[in-house]
Amino acid sequence: MYYIHTISSITNQDSFRNEDVYASLREFDKEIDVVAPDYKEFIPRNSLRRLSPILRMGLTCAMECKNFLDKNFDAIVVGTALGCLKDTEKFLNTFITSTSDFLSPTAFIQSTHNTIGGQISLGLNNHAYNMTHTQNSLSFEVSMIDAFLCIKDGKKNVLVGAAEEKIDFLEKVQPSLIPNGYPLASGASFFAISGEKSKNKIGIQAVATNFNSINLENEIAQFLAKENCEMVDLILTSGDVVKNTTSKIESINYLKITGLHYSSSAFATHIAHDFLKNNDAETALIVNNLCKGKLGLILVKKG
Amino acid sequence: MKIYVTGYGLISAIGVGEEETLDALRNERTGINTGEKEETKAYKVGEIALSNDELKERFKLSTEGSRTALLGMVAAKQAFEGHLLSDEIKTGLISGTSVGGMDISEQEYRNYLNGEKHNPENYKHHSSGVSSEQIAEELGITDFINTISTACSSAANALMMGARMIRSGMLDRVVVGGTDSLTLFTISGFKSLMIFDADWCKPFDNSRKGLNLGEGAGFLVLESEKSLSISNKRPVALLSGWSNASDAFHQTASSPDGQGAQLSMVEALNVAGLKPSDIDYINAHGTATPNNDLSESQAIKSIFKEAIPPFSSTKAFTGHTLAASGGIEAVFAILAINKGLLLPNLNFSNVIEETQLTPQLSFEEGKTVKHVLSNSFGFGGNNSTVILSRVD
Amino acid sequence: MSDLKQTLKEQIIEQLNLEDLTPADIKDDAPLFGEGLGLDSIDALEFIVLLEQNYGIKIADPSEGKDIFQSVNSLAAYIEKNK
Repeated sequence: MYYIHTISSITNQDSFRNEDVYASLREFDKEIDVVAPDYKEFIPRNSLRRLSPILRMGLTCAMECKNFLDKNFDAIVVGTALGCLKDTEKFLNTFITSTSDFLSPTAFIQSTHNTIGGQISLGLNNHAYNMTHTQNSLSFEVSMIDAFLCIKDGKKNVLVGAAEEKIDFLEKVQPSLIPNGYPLASGASFFAISGEKSKNKIGIQAVATNFNSINLENEIAQFLAKENCEMVDLILTSGDVVKNTTSKIESINYLKITGLHYSSSAFATHIAHDFLKNNDAETALIVNNLCKGKLGLILVKKG
Repeated sequence: MKIYVTGYGLISAIGVGEEETLDALRNERTGINTGEKEETKAYKVGEIALSNDELKERFKLSTEGSRTALLGMVAAKQAFEGHLLSDEIKTGLISGTSVGGMDISEQEYRNYLNGEKHNPENYKHHSSGVSSEQIAEELGITDFINTISTACSSAANALMMGARMIRSGMLDRVVVGGTDSLTLFTISGFKSLMIFDADWCKPFDNSRKGLNLGEGAGFLVLESEKSLSISNKRPVALLSGWSNASDAFHQTASSPDGQGAQLSMVEALNVAGLKPSDIDYINAHGTATPNNDLSESQAIKSIFKEAIPPFSSTKAFTGHTLAASGGIEAVFAILAINKGLLLPNLNFSNVIEETQLTPQLSFEEGKTVKHVLSNSFGFGGNNSTVILSRVD
Repeated sequence: MSDLKQTLKEQIIEQLNLEDLTPADIKDDAPLFGEGLGLDSIDALEFIVLLEQNYGIKIADPSEGKDIFQSVNSLAAYIEKNK
């Protein structure tokens, strides 16, 4: 088990500093991007001036997770499929339209995927292992796998999470990229995890990825059998509701709640955690089959 | 547990594969020239002469992809040649890239801005994860696919991730490395930072002005002992050390004393169980920017003290290939180990005033090279080091 | 000259996203880098863009910027001399 000590999410839901995200879930609100705190309370102004929304979300969540520790993280692992889209688009505009010899560099330096992890290392003055995984819809899952490896390698406290940002341009091209009807979203979720038991004893038992997924129900059954898990209390899925023979209650399509981005399964993990924390339940499964043929499974457990 | 290297492949401005690469290194022939394309003609770049169609035809690539993906396929296929897929060997692919399919996206986005015909379908190549999926598809690998994007340390981090996954038993064999093509995005980006040398770059030279960009890909095949017993491949090197540390100094600049670089080199030596004096050659990051080379020199001095082994930057051959550099330079390290090479640092004339270090200046052969340390440092303070060792 | 300094301060605030500052917060002779506004090497490059875009002045070597970008006073003096 990899125990979750703190979670921080900034999403379309009212999730930041909310002790029971599960209980306060509502339908995705298209009118807003994210319910954000006042970033000035978290990030020094001199840093804030350059940070795009994804960096503000990621850094703020990371700082929140740091609050439970009296020392720094031993590793920082970030997943993002599309990364810093706002600065990427801004710099594309800069160099495509400019005729000058001199180009503004700020958007360029903040456009690389690892800017999120880099800004977290700067914000926390952290010199530890710092990794960025960008594997499309499974970016969060592979980040989790890396975080678990860090703990197996002997690192104690690991910060792991994912962040994505929506830009208007993405809506124009969405039908060609992710052809489904869910509204596009922004969001960040970060977790402080370690091998040591957390207060509520909730953690992640296992994460599996499948890059050649053919039969969803078989693959879920095999995964649960391997993890000695006969019954799950809650299934959170991306898209079609999984036929629920193993779960006591209905499975939830989390995209209706989180909105659509490639790392929505990170927030689904937050929801699962809060569900287990505040209910008489022991296990939750996140089924991420957002992209055809790619499957991520996350088993969250109390105990 | 040992991590064996049983295959390698590379493509860069100095050639495709081992033979062409060695020939250029031996004859101190740079691959950097005035660019031949519309977007590169104003710069000195390490451009690969083959067009996308020529790459597909010459290397019989059957998967579509951006130039980044195609270059990756060429190097990964070379590395994986002679390897057979088997249910008994759980095989993955981990690729580092910073630009992904940007070469296509930037053309498409220009069309969009100019109100010309705009085909959103082309953005499906954009994400870096897609380029890795395309490379994996070309090789037939499906057990595990991952992409790492930590700017210029991406490939080194892919090597490290692969080694750790083998060590934990999650994978038996993994193709690891990195790929990046030249794009207007990165050319404009480094231009905006005013760190191009208009002339040939001069790593570790006192008058260095900046870098030349390059493109390419470099991949290795890593295997566990168990995998070797099934694949029967002959190991050509060991991946003995790896590390990733954060400079946490500035988004783009390295700290003056190279703190992150020091942490990274020390930890990689620890993982390998080696002392600094065991290292026979350092392939430095050595981008030839004033900031990197000074910071890296300070870090090397602080770790190796008075006994600094021969070191050089090979970026004056290939240009800075960004996310691919750690993969290409890992192949250089393997060539150095197996052929007893020390690789020359081109265009050097004077030592950096503050550090007074002279890099390896000529191509030497027949040396005893057991352990090579290779640095890759990226934006965001992402510093990584890998150590490759001789199989004894 | 004082008009130029006022305009410069507005341009600096915009170019560097110093959204919390007003021109009055930037003293003419206060250092812009390090202890002053806390600007860094990237901001120095933004200054180069600012000078070119607004005053047609080209600084090809970023190391030249060190003296020029010391304060609003030194910037204004450089612009007066070179425009």
